[in-house]
Amino acid sequence: MARPLADEVRAIAEQYPESTSAVLPALRIAQERHGGWLPPEALEEVGEALGLTPAYCKGVASFYDMFHLAPVGRRLVEVCTNICCGLRGAQDVLQAFERELDVRPGETTPDGAFTLRAVECIGGCGWPTVVAIDDRHRLNVSAGDVPGIVQELRGG
Amino acid sequence: MSAPELVTVTIDERSVQVPKGTGIVETAAAAGIEIPVFCYEPRLGAAVGACRMCLVEVEGMPPKPQAGCTLFAQDGMVVKTARTSEMARVAQNATLEFILVNHPLDCPVCDKGGECPLQDLTFRYGPGNTRMTFDKRTFEKPIPISPAISIDRERCILCYRCTRFSESVSEDNQLVAVNRGAQTMIATFEDEPYTGAFTGNVTELCPVGALLPTQPRFEIRPWEFQAVPSVCGLCPVGCNIDVDQREGKIKRILSRNHPEVDEGWLCDKGRFGFSHLYAEDRITDPLRRVRSRGLEEISWEDALDDAERLLREANGRIAVALSGSETTEDAYALAKLVRKGLGAHTAMLPEEIGGGLDAFRAPLSAIRDAELIVVLGEDPVVERAPIVDLWLRKARRAGAEIVEIGPAGDVQIAPGTTARACRKLKSGELGDRLRASERAILIWSGGGAGGGSHLAALATDLGFADKPGCGAFFLPETANGRGVAEAWAAASDDEGPEPEPLGLLIVSGDEAAANPNVRALAEQAERVLAITMFHSLAVGWADLVLPGTSYLEREGTYVNVEGRIQRLRRTAIPPAPDELAWIAQLASRFEVELSPSPSLVFAELSERVFGGVTYEDLGEEARLPDRVPLEAAPAESADEPVPAKAPGGTLQLLRYRPLFSGAAVERVPELQFQRPAPEIELSVKDAKRLGVRRGEPVSVRSNGTSVQLRAAINKRLKAGVARIADDHARDLHPTVEVSK
Ligand code: SF4
Ligand code: SF4
Ligand code: FES
Ligand code: FES
Repeated sequence: MARPLADEVRAIAEQYPESTSAVLPALRIAQERHGGWLPPEALEEVGEALGLTPAYCKGVASFYDMFHLAPVGRRLVEVCTNICCGLRGAQDVLQAFERELDVRPGETTPDGAFTLRAVECIGGCGWPTVVAIDDRHRLNVSAGDVPGIVQELRGG
Repeated sequence: MSAPELVTVTIDERSVQVPKGTGIVETAAAAGIEIPVFCYEPRLGAAVGACRMCLVEVEGMPPKPQAGCTLFAQDGMVVKTARTSEMARVAQNATLEFILVNHPLDCPVCDKGGECPLQDLTFRYGPGNTRMTFDKRTFEKPIPISPAISIDRERCILCYRCTRFSESVSEDNQLVAVNRGAQTMIATFEDEPYTGAFTGNVTELCPVGALLPTQPRFEIRPWEFQAVPSVCGLCPVGCNIDVDQREGKIKRILSRNHPEVDEGWLCDKGRFGFSHLYAEDRITDPLRRVRSRGLEEISWEDALDDAERLLREANGRIAVALSGSETTEDAYALAKLVRKGLGAHTAMLPEEIGGGLDAFRAPLSAIRDAELIVVLGEDPVVERAPIVDLWLRKARRAGAEIVEIGPAGDVQIAPGTTARACRKLKSGELGDRLRASERAILIWSGGGAGGGSHLAALATDLGFADKPGCGAFFLPETANGRGVAEAWAAASDDEGPEPEPLGLLIVSGDEAAANPNVRALAEQAERVLAITMFHSLAVGWADLVLPGTSYLEREGTYVNVEGRIQRLRRTAIPPAPDELAWIAQLASRFEVELSPSPSLVFAELSERVFGGVTYEDLGEEARLPDRVPLEAAPAESADEPVPAKAPGGTLQLLRYRPLFSGAAVERVPELQFQRPAPEIELSVKDAKRLGVRRGEPVSVRSNGTSVQLRAAINKRLKAGVARIADDHARDLHPTVEVSK
């Protein structure tokens, strides 16, 4: 069984002089433990363990794109729409996902299987368009690849 | 301290000399030139450069506009503001156009209009029109951020003053910016109300109409206010305030920065508490008891006749219970009337403060400059003297070491043993360091008989009298307990026997009227004359009730925690004559000479106890009187009685009087959410032993009484002690049993 979240968070905090330095890694673990997003309780737990207010934790979490403050689907599909990917058809890729999944960017499918997001540069500019699926990058994705990817993700 | 090095800076061709390191905004001000700002506010800590309103051109720096608020004066610096630099002018103009991109421009319905920096600076530096043709960012507005404060996010210019206050002044970290970029908004966690002793300050810091007090909403325009400078009378700090009133009615209270006392901060009790003046049960006419629980209004003439009769019939068997909220002059007048006129010398003073501390007098701002601070006592500082808590936080941020000695301190001691702990500081490692320090402060925060005298004895022993950077503060429980005690003593040198049996008890003020000990004494009195503001405090026990007035309604002086004598002004028209007016009339019936004018009473009193300073000397920013050297070693009071150790399985009850309590707070709708929750604080160890978790209901019992409270865990609390606010502890005995 995994260690209690509070213990893990405190262990991280011990590596830094200031507990505020541990907020980002702590939030990441909390998000993993809470099904991929940060419900208010998660922010409270992290705050409690670090001696910070939940408001402070929320301020930090809401600043960063990789923290989610609303529930996400079991699979998270993030399409980069920044410059390089944009020049190589990112909008088409995004639209293809919208069609295949029948959701708009930022939405989750009614069955809770997928969340689709449009995001800024995720550091794979040499291989546009980049699509991050559950934290793993797929490179050089084109709109035509999308039906196949979705089918694969649906386990087909 | 050595004089700081002066440097010469040229601002818009004017040359000015300032100490090296002065901010450029202040340097320009010294040259008579304004650099406009939104986010810059030195009281919030280092500049953040968030708004770019202060852009200037600096010779020799990269050829682009510089944020003036982040620069410091250096010798030979040449700065050009928008007055002489086209670059700065264009940049400021563009900044304002940018700031207004999402602004709703709803000045006509905005309470800030007329005193709004955004309005003023746009008028002076901004473009007269907008090129913005897109939809603006919209929010639901205004929404409460607490019952006392509303937020309009559309108006917010994201200067971060409010969040910086929350993060680095009050350090409550409840108000934060969430999201990013243009989507950023100011919020609390899960829309919980912004709670704490100091939240109202953000309404004064906000440079736009985004954070506004809910109290005078849509009632008034700022130019219709008349500001009366006065002093808050709700705790012993005595923050300097401006009371904005219109047609004799108070609309709001703002801070009036006294750099040694309050640094321009107020607590929420002082800021929002004024509406108790307009409570429904405010007494406006004298009342006489009819039957056992009824009161009927009578004329002032009848009331004075009644009062005279009560005083005569008591035949000198009179006692006076004082509140500590009387002005020094009122207390003196009352004392003179009964002591000189009737030979009655028995008073129940609001508290024993103990003399001697004037030898170690220091401004509260000395706390900020200290390197070592010891806080002794059972009460959290913030509950007794809120602003002192802010000074302590500031000291800690500046690197001071603060040692708290109390039942919930760094050094945990049992309730009732503060005096012993105080004495122990004369020796030992901490005592040695205090003795060696040039900048050390002692603070006593809590009851315990004669804390002041214990503190004075310690400060004497530590040699504080000869060290101007060292000081000792006893935080009184009442706003003017010191002044009232001095006034009582000044009125006469005579002493008299205890009145037996007690003929008449005079209850002066709401705190005395609500005090259970005073109530108990009243049981033994044949008659009771009460001076109080509120009906519910008068009903059922007083034979004659004279309407009380508030600290906001009378002229006079208060002596604060430092021993600073400060002037109160009449900031609102009271519904009845004030105390001094009728005490003086009554006094003349007993051949006691007494002026109804506070300044003359003060002059008489000052001759006796304040070294003859005049009302005018006090001014609007009162200075701290000099230290009064000790003639003899201070007489130390006896220790407070140490409560018997709680028998096994039970806990020692530690009560405290919350900041948000009392007759005034109870009558302010906007402050109800601040009153303490029905909780019992338990130590980690006791909570574990009892198997209770945070938030669980527990029953607290002692001697047949029992209350239901929610459990809270206080990690700093000493095991064996349970802390409960007075409001909820009610008549629990000092030893309690807690169970699920
Ligand atoms: S609410 Fe006011 S003080 Fe807070 S960031 Fe916005 S404009 Fe600044
Ligand atoms: S700290 Fe005390 S004096 Fe200052 S505003 Fe609050 S109650 Fe009034
Ligand atoms: S722009 Fe798409 S990964 Fe950088
Ligand atoms: S006042 Fe300088 S950036 Fe805001």
